[in-house]
Amino acid sequence: MDQQLEQLRAEALAALAAAADEAAIEAVRIAFLGRTGKISVLSEGMRTVSKEDKPRIGKLLNEVRNAVSGGVEARKAALEAERDQAALAGIDLTLPGIPVPQGAVHPINQMLERAVAIFRKMGFALADGPDIEDEWHCFDALNTPEDHPARNEADTFYLPDGRLLRTQTSTVQARTMELVAPPVRIIAPGCVYRRDEADATHLAQFTQIEGLYVDEGVTLGDLKGTIEYFFRELLGSDAQVRMRPHFFPFTEPSFEVDIKASALGKGDKWLELAGCGMVDPAVFAQINKKRGDQAYDAEKYTGFAFGFGLDRLAMILSGVSDIRLFTENDVRFLAQYK
Amino acid sequence: MKVSLNWLKELVDLPADVNALSEILTKAGVEVEGIETRGCDLDHIVVAQILETAQHPNADRLSVNKVADGSAEPRQIVCGAKNFKVGDKVPLALPGAVMPGDFKIKTGKLRGVESAGMMCSAKELGLAEDAEGLLILSPGAVVGTPIKDLFPPETVLDVEVTPNRPDLLSHVGMAREIATLLEKPLRIPEAILGCKSVSSAPAGDAIALEAPEVCPFYTARAIRGVKVGPSPAWLRGKLESVGLRSINNIVDVTNYVMLELGQPLHAFDQAKLQGGIRVRPATAGEKFLALDGKTYELGPNHLVIADQQRALAIAGVMGGEESGVTETTTDILLESAWFAPAKIRHTSRELALSSDSSYRFERTVDPAGVLAASARAVALIQEVAGGQAEPAPRAAGTAPVSAPEVPFRLERCRALLGADVAAETVERILTGFGLEKTANGWRSPSFRPDLVREIDLIEEVARVIGIEAVPARFVTRYTASSEADRRFDQATQIRRQLSAPGLGFHEARSLTLISEKSAAVFPAGNLLKVRNPLGEDQAVLRPSLVPGLLESLARNFRAGQRDLRLFELGRVFQAGKREEHTSLALVLTGAAAPASWREAKPRTVDFFDLKGVIATLGLKGVTLETATHPALALAVELHRGKRVVGVAGQLLPATARDLDASAPILVAEIDLDVFDPAPATRRFTELPKFPAVTRDIALLVAAEVPHEKITASLLSAKEPLLVGVELFDVFTDPEGVKVPAGQKSVAYALTYRSAEKTLTAEEVAQAHQKLKERLKAELAATFRE
Repeated sequence: MDQQLEQLRAEALAALAAAADEAAIEAVRIAFLGRTGKISVLSEGMRTVSKEDKPRIGKLLNEVRNAVSGGVEARKAALEAERDQAALAGIDLTLPGIPVPQGAVHPINQMLERAVAIFRKMGFALADGPDIEDEWHCFDALNTPEDHPARNEADTFYLPDGRLLRTQTSTVQARTMELVAPPVRIIAPGCVYRRDEADATHLAQFTQIEGLYVDEGVTLGDLKGTIEYFFRELLGSDAQVRMRPHFFPFTEPSFEVDIKASALGKGDKWLELAGCGMVDPAVFAQINKKRGDQAYDAEKYTGFAFGFGLDRLAMILSGVSDIRLFTENDVRFLAQYK
Repeated sequence: MKVSLNWLKELVDLPADVNALSEILTKAGVEVEGIETRGCDLDHIVVAQILETAQHPNADRLSVNKVADGSAEPRQIVCGAKNFKVGDKVPLALPGAVMPGDFKIKTGKLRGVESAGMMCSAKELGLAEDAEGLLILSPGAVVGTPIKDLFPPETVLDVEVTPNRPDLLSHVGMAREIATLLEKPLRIPEAILGCKSVSSAPAGDAIALEAPEVCPFYTARAIRGVKVGPSPAWLRGKLESVGLRSINNIVDVTNYVMLELGQPLHAFDQAKLQGGIRVRPATAGEKFLALDGKTYELGPNHLVIADQQRALAIAGVMGGEESGVTETTTDILLESAWFAPAKIRHTSRELALSSDSSYRFERTVDPAGVLAASARAVALIQEVAGGQAEPAPRAAGTAPVSAPEVPFRLERCRALLGADVAAETVERILTGFGLEKTANGWRSPSFRPDLVREIDLIEEVARVIGIEAVPARFVTRYTASSEADRRFDQATQIRRQLSAPGLGFHEARSLTLISEKSAAVFPAGNLLKVRNPLGEDQAVLRPSLVPGLLESLARNFRAGQRDLRLFELGRVFQAGKREEHTSLALVLTGAAAPASWREAKPRTVDFFDLKGVIATLGLKGVTLETATHPALALAVELHRGKRVVGVAGQLLPATARDLDASAPILVAEIDLDVFDPAPATRRFTELPKFPAVTRDIALLVAAEVPHEKITASLLSAKEPLLVGVELFDVFTDPEGVKVPAGQKSVAYALTYRSAEKTLTAEEVAQAHQKLKERLKAELAATFRE
């Protein structure tokens, strides 16, 4: 019987090796392990085996049975693996990937997000005001007298009711101080409007970001620190800042801010990028008058304000020479800011 | 303002390097916008005369010349130019001269022939940008004269003077500024200083001030027997150096004094005046022929200088063609006056006429300098044109001289600047600028109308010590987030989400001002108009972001871009209570996915793609209701409670065609301000413990029964086991073959689950059957199984 079993094992394994598909494997399995299969039939003979041989033959029978059923599984797995491999064979992995549609945030808003992140780090909160303004918030509150050159129809857009489109985000300074007593530490981004004919460097509309800090003991040194910190964070630690005295009605002393930085790509040239200064006491006086109190006592509080154009900054930083590209929304342009 | 360095040098010592001066001025807020050098500043270049010329023996293009240079012996010069002949006078660079570009002239051999210098072109001398051949000098030039003397070197600064600094619109004012910045003495010549103490005679009937609020002070002085003619070289040179044309000696003197002291003056031809001067408002429609040859129509809001007959000048702006000084003039009347800045500014703007005079008057001239300037001009006129002046100018009114005492506290100055400024520094600066120390502060000079408050003086100190003297301080401060912060973050999140890979929208930014026609393409609220637009195409404030996006689409179509997804987030403007709000608009058109080798022709986007995008925005509490819209062929409204907060749909095909679209355009616009910008805190839902079972259901209903009604019917059964309804097929057959005409086949996957146990097939079948019954009863549905 031992011999017969060994022979069946060999026979079965050989048949499995020759089996080319699942059906052939199954046929082998039935032929040997099925109810009437050769191994099953042979195992019937166990009854006739002598008592002393029984444990040995029984063990062998199990071994053979396991070997054959193991062989069936192994052959199946081998066939499956062959099939899997065949299915993936010959694929050209150099074919291009399937594109996923991808858009981009507008470059000016990318610039804005960067600027806001830096100012927030310094503890500035955002503030907001309307685009349609009255003359008081745009001019009077900001110490710009009635006969100031900016206050006329040639430079400023007016609505039929005498209100106007704000010419600067400084209006938000006035709006904020009108509502909130010091300390105030805000930035205010927004659209501003000037009656300029469009060309490569001008649009009748552009984007500014304004800043205001009023508190006890605010100094010109604080303003300098803020401006320096901002531009170094934005443009890299090699950014040099020059503050050049200038004139604005709502600050005194006032400065224009020139920057030199390799990120600007203009070599050794100073670029005028911002205006700033210490809040003029006349502005506080106007605010107090409007509020009907002395919340902004110029003897107690001092402050600084600054403003700059995001369009110009974005233009310089990304090497755009025509500002109109920012409002034409050509996707070939926008897609470059992915 | 153009400033001559030669002129300044007469008043103050300047640094040798003009760039250093420019830097110092710019740093002090007097921005130098340009530096222009004229003339020739090169040594060892003289006038030479060609004596002989001959062909170079070894070079076709060169000549060998003998020239006289003023020394005893003629020189031999090899030259490549051809444009000269024997007898011409030309510039000759002698050995030792250093030409621009650090090119040194030496004696040497050119193709074997000795050359002891170089004859020069205008370009080589820096006198012209471009010049062919040698510079041929006038025959009168004296051989041996240094070229420097023929073309005296001059440097002119182009300075941007801010509107608060009228005192800088003169050379004396500029010199005062520089003297203080450089800590150098200011040297005002005696001839000028002497003019300060001039007395005047009452005007009597000679001058009538009929608008004293805008002309409070007017002086006139007659000079008889002047000889009008060309100006002497020094006067001419000064004017020309700063870009003024020389007219005649009288006019030139008035301009010279204006440039020197900042006071505009005007000379009338006495013979052309009829009676005394009237300073009066113009009459309505009064015509005036000005010196620029143009006729201006004036009105009562303009001020004129007139005689008893007619206007002679637009006050402070420009004189008249008919009363000016000409070659035949012998007697003149010299005007020196003070006009209200706002008046001159308005007049100049209204007439679109500005002049050196109006430029100064509208910025405020020194009221205390009116008489001094007149005296200075009279002295100069007598010097260059002779004549006999009246003993004193006749003056009407009084000059509004103001020299206020300004309180000043050193501690305050230090506290505001955050810099430890020394008292002596402050004194030096303020004294230098012409202020006088008083018990409690300083008295400002009349020529500095910008110095009236303590802060004005602090600014002067800051300007001069410079920002470098102020140590930077870095302060941060905790500030509570504002509503604007939350709105900004909300906008940022939407921007990031829509532009992220997958949705792939590009963010657009369009202009606020659009045309009325463009606004009409997508009506939204009532229009707000601009009173003074730049043109019809920018006449109204956009009531919606959609018109701008549609124009952007059209622009992209023209550039050949057909598959487009754009969004914009910005303010829109509508007349009424809520005038401004932030809106989000989307447009999409073209292929639903980028074409690839796997899918060469992806399908075109439709309304349901748009709806899917809107769903990703997670707008809380919003339902979509079928609606109509004048600009949309298919439209739904976004409702939040009873409020309409947006609209979405497919643009009218006719509008799309007008934009040159080749596929449907989908549009949505949402009012963002109604949504709470605070970031949402998510609540966790327990994960299901038992498996779900899904059963499909395919039904036939009348074609007009909407999907929403079917789901509503399913949900209204309140079957507790039903946890999901998913539409997976909609089918109609216009032929009526596969589905009867007027009906549609819809198929849903219904998901059942219990929170307590694994469902048996029986339980599921029961629930499923119940739902089918409901559909049958409510919608007359039949089932395809």
